[in-house]
Amino acid sequence: MIISTTWLAEYVRWDAPVEELVRRLLMSGLNHEATWPVGADTAVDIEVTSNRPDCLGHVGVAREVAVLFDRPLHIPAPQPVESAEPAAEAIAVEISDLDVCPHYTARVIRGVRVGPSPAWLAERLRTIGIEPVNNVVDVTNYVMMECGQPLHAFDLAKIRGGRIVVRRARDGETFRAINHKDFSLSSGMAVIADAEGPVALAGVMGGAESEIAADTVDVLLESAQFAPLVVRAAARGLVLMSASSYRFERGPDPAAVEWASRRAAALIQELAGGEVLAGAVEAGALAGGRATIDLRAARVEEVLGVPVAAGRQAEILTGLGFVKEAACSERCRWQAPSWRRDVTREIDLVEEIARIEGYDNVPEDRPIHAKPVEQSARERTIRVAGEVLVAAGLCEAMTRSVVSEAFESTASPWTALPPRRVAPALVRGADRLRRSLLPSLLEASGHNRAVGAPHGDLFEVARAYLDRSWNAAGATPLEEPLLVSLVVGGAYAKAKGLAEGVIGRLGGVVEFRRGAFDLFTPGRAAEIVLERAGTEPVRVGVVGEVSDGVLSRFGLEGPVSAAELRLDLLEISGSQPRKLVPPSEFPAVQRDLNLVVDQELAWAEVERAIREAPGADKMLESLSLEQVWEDAERLGAGKKSLVVGLRFRSQTGTISSDESKRLVDGIVAACGQSCGAMLRG
Amino acid sequence: MGTVSLESFRVDVERLRAEAVAVLGAAADDAGLEQARIEFAGAKSGRLKGIQKLLGGLDGADRPEAGRLFNEAKGAITAALDAAQVRLAGAAAEAAAIDVTLPGLPFRLGHVHPITQTIRRVQEIMARLGFESVDGPEVEDQWHNFEALAIGAEHPARDPLDNFYLAVAQGADPLLLRSQTSTVQIRVMEQRKPPLRIVSLGRVYRPDTADATHYPMFHQVEGLLVEPGATMADLKGVLRFLASSFLGGDVHVRFRPSFFPFTEPSVEFDMEWGGRWVEMGGAGMVDPAVLAAVGYDPAEVSGFAFGLGVERIAARRYGVADIRDFYRNDVRFLQQF
Repeated sequence: MIISTTWLAEYVRWDAPVEELVRRLLMSGLNHEATWPVGADTAVDIEVTSNRPDCLGHVGVAREVAVLFDRPLHIPAPQPVESAEPAAEAIAVEISDLDVCPHYTARVIRGVRVGPSPAWLAERLRTIGIEPVNNVVDVTNYVMMECGQPLHAFDLAKIRGGRIVVRRARDGETFRAINHKDFSLSSGMAVIADAEGPVALAGVMGGAESEIAADTVDVLLESAQFAPLVVRAAARGLVLMSASSYRFERGPDPAAVEWASRRAAALIQELAGGEVLAGAVEAGALAGGRATIDLRAARVEEVLGVPVAAGRQAEILTGLGFVKEAACSERCRWQAPSWRRDVTREIDLVEEIARIEGYDNVPEDRPIHAKPVEQSARERTIRVAGEVLVAAGLCEAMTRSVVSEAFESTASPWTALPPRRVAPALVRGADRLRRSLLPSLLEASGHNRAVGAPHGDLFEVARAYLDRSWNAAGATPLEEPLLVSLVVGGAYAKAKGLAEGVIGRLGGVVEFRRGAFDLFTPGRAAEIVLERAGTEPVRVGVVGEVSDGVLSRFGLEGPVSAAELRLDLLEISGSQPRKLVPPSEFPAVQRDLNLVVDQELAWAEVERAIREAPGADKMLESLSLEQVWEDAERLGAGKKSLVVGLRFRSQTGTISSDESKRLVDGIVAACGQSCGAMLRG
Repeated sequence: MGTVSLESFRVDVERLRAEAVAVLGAAADDAGLEQARIEFAGAKSGRLKGIQKLLGGLDGADRPEAGRLFNEAKGAITAALDAAQVRLAGAAAEAAAIDVTLPGLPFRLGHVHPITQTIRRVQEIMARLGFESVDGPEVEDQWHNFEALAIGAEHPARDPLDNFYLAVAQGADPLLLRSQTSTVQIRVMEQRKPPLRIVSLGRVYRPDTADATHYPMFHQVEGLLVEPGATMADLKGVLRFLASSFLGGDVHVRFRPSFFPFTEPSVEFDMEWGGRWVEMGGAGMVDPAVLAAVGYDPAEVSGFAFGLGVERIAARRYGVADIRDFYRNDVRFLQQF
């Protein structure tokens, strides 16, 4: 809303520089955008929040200024000189749907001389960025910018059949607006029609056919109230925003319909001459009663934390146009003015008092007592996962939750259901809620390679969005598992090591089982399965080497490996910190074993056999796979050799050579029994 | 009567001592030093040994004094020998010295995203006041994103063009990507009774064309306190604590009246940053209609809420001119934080 300070001064004198005016308005709710000179005038652009349509006109702003500077407010009381002929003889008005238009008034001015507006009027309009057209149209714009009530002037000669009907538009009905563009209407919108068809798009724009022209003699002046949703549907649907639609969407003062009509008729008469017919032709009625609100004087301090004297409270409310119903002290009943339909409750009155009194009076040093708070398991889980990956040299990425069809064409490890779609697209082409973070991370990694960044090893913690095939009561609309995903340069073992690191730090015990996923090279991918006592094993992750096709799609060069884990399922349980296992004071014993097994045998089988061998649970400090080799001549066809490093240590004493021999023998026996392993030389 | 006078012994000892100290001090390398050692301190035929033999030719009465002179000289020569050894060892080490300005062995450090760092900083500060971090779904229903927040069916904020609505089956309840994290506050209030202090945080979505200061996906941190007797003064105190802890020093907070459907009164809050007022976010007292919607009694408890746009404060904190950089995931950007 642009204000002309010259114009504003017509209603109130504030006796302060413009900077002070702007500051006071800013601190009472009208944000300042900019100030600039226009000739001798000054334009001030203020931001008006959607709850304050009363400030979409100069009078409303003047009312704020009057209260802020404690100055009187002068509002004109227009009275056109009316002739004997009643307007009702010149025009009939009918509303076919009160839901779209609760109140419509029409005045008629006969015999105007259309011409340029006087300088004072043209200059004020120019200050606020409106180009003058002619004296009749300029008056309708002027009055709208004065009181916030949009008006429209028709050339009465162009209104066919002597009647106005306000009705919903018909689907497919066409209309040519003042801007000489044709629009196809729909039933969500409303029109002003004459006996033959639409002459205006209600609340948005007049029609080209009936506009005021140089040869216009008789004027039909419309002042009406239109439903916000109907105006919004038309303005949005036709992309035809106007100063009028902007105001109707926010709901101007219903009482201003009548005042604006009188004001505009009087000004037209003054500037363009003519005869104002008696009265206004009305349909519908002034909508709604005014809210009455009880205010407890003490409530103000209860909300603000600082008192405002009851007398001052009354002064502020009265200045803003609220009317006290009767004498009172502690509890007062107030009637809201017609232009403040946003004020309906006690708390709303408190806000009015607070914003005028100023929030600078609210102290900022009131002590607030501390309270213990615990970090949630989810929060700790997210941090631990991030710490592991940052320590491993990965950078945290943030990618979009909504992706293109190309990203979602690969199967998700988490659901068989297709991705949900959103409208509009988040960015061009991205309209699918992602079910995995991996494509986004691969793209980001490819970007790093393309720009020659030092590396493209990334991780991200974010949600996936999974459709449900059924919906439990109280459940969130979609399933949104929290994932951590990572992409690193290096073969399968690289991503697997990182996945193991994260899972291990979270205290999870998992198994890696051969799996197949779209992004990964067949045979080089695994699903990660969590086993917990008393529950079915559940998939908590996937890991694999990214396939050649996927690499080339994202501009990556292999080997690249990746993993995605379900942090929601791996969440650290309980709030107890880890308990120390004291490091043993006794020396360790190192033994290497060279086991020959079938080539097909999985390492996990050997590892399990070793860990489950007698005494291993207490004595085996660490187990490592040092080397794997195959040699048909030395080992035999279909065999492989595993060099396994074993490190024994006891909490209670030094391990004797007999004891270590027993442990090793037990392990060899266990591996022989369950894996068919032979000890080599 | 002895064959050697004390006086001549003294002269010999002093001469030997002076000569030995000079020669040892001048030795230029290990070989020269070894030669000098054998000459002066050799166990069999060193000159010190030769002098020692003279002791037997002295008068008995002179022997203690001569012995003292000898020991003194021997100590001085030994010390000179040690010093020469240390000197030559040092020189040898010097020859094998390294360029201490050569680069250290590089290792790769990972980095936490600056948006995450900013969120955690706010979380940590709020935790000191007892605000617990909470989490909730990003895909929401109309109740949690609008209705419970007093955003009625006619409110422009619900316009399809201003939200990311999900495609749903005919007749099904509309779903959308949440446009604010206040949705989480509603969900928490529905499940818990006051008193309550929470911080909800996460991704939110609004259809804005991406440019240097807008992105259709961004992060919010929102605080909520519901307790009997909470006031706007408490809100201001909490925000000042947050501002001072976040920015450092004693930072002042300013309220400007504003409008949000779910708070009344509503304000924008500014913080003094770099000598001027910087807009930080929106705040206000929780609207009684919101308290009622979650089953609280507005006569019993009151509350306040505030929200911060994370990208905006992170951009300012780190000097990022274009917020789209936060989502490009360029490692050259990420590794600066």
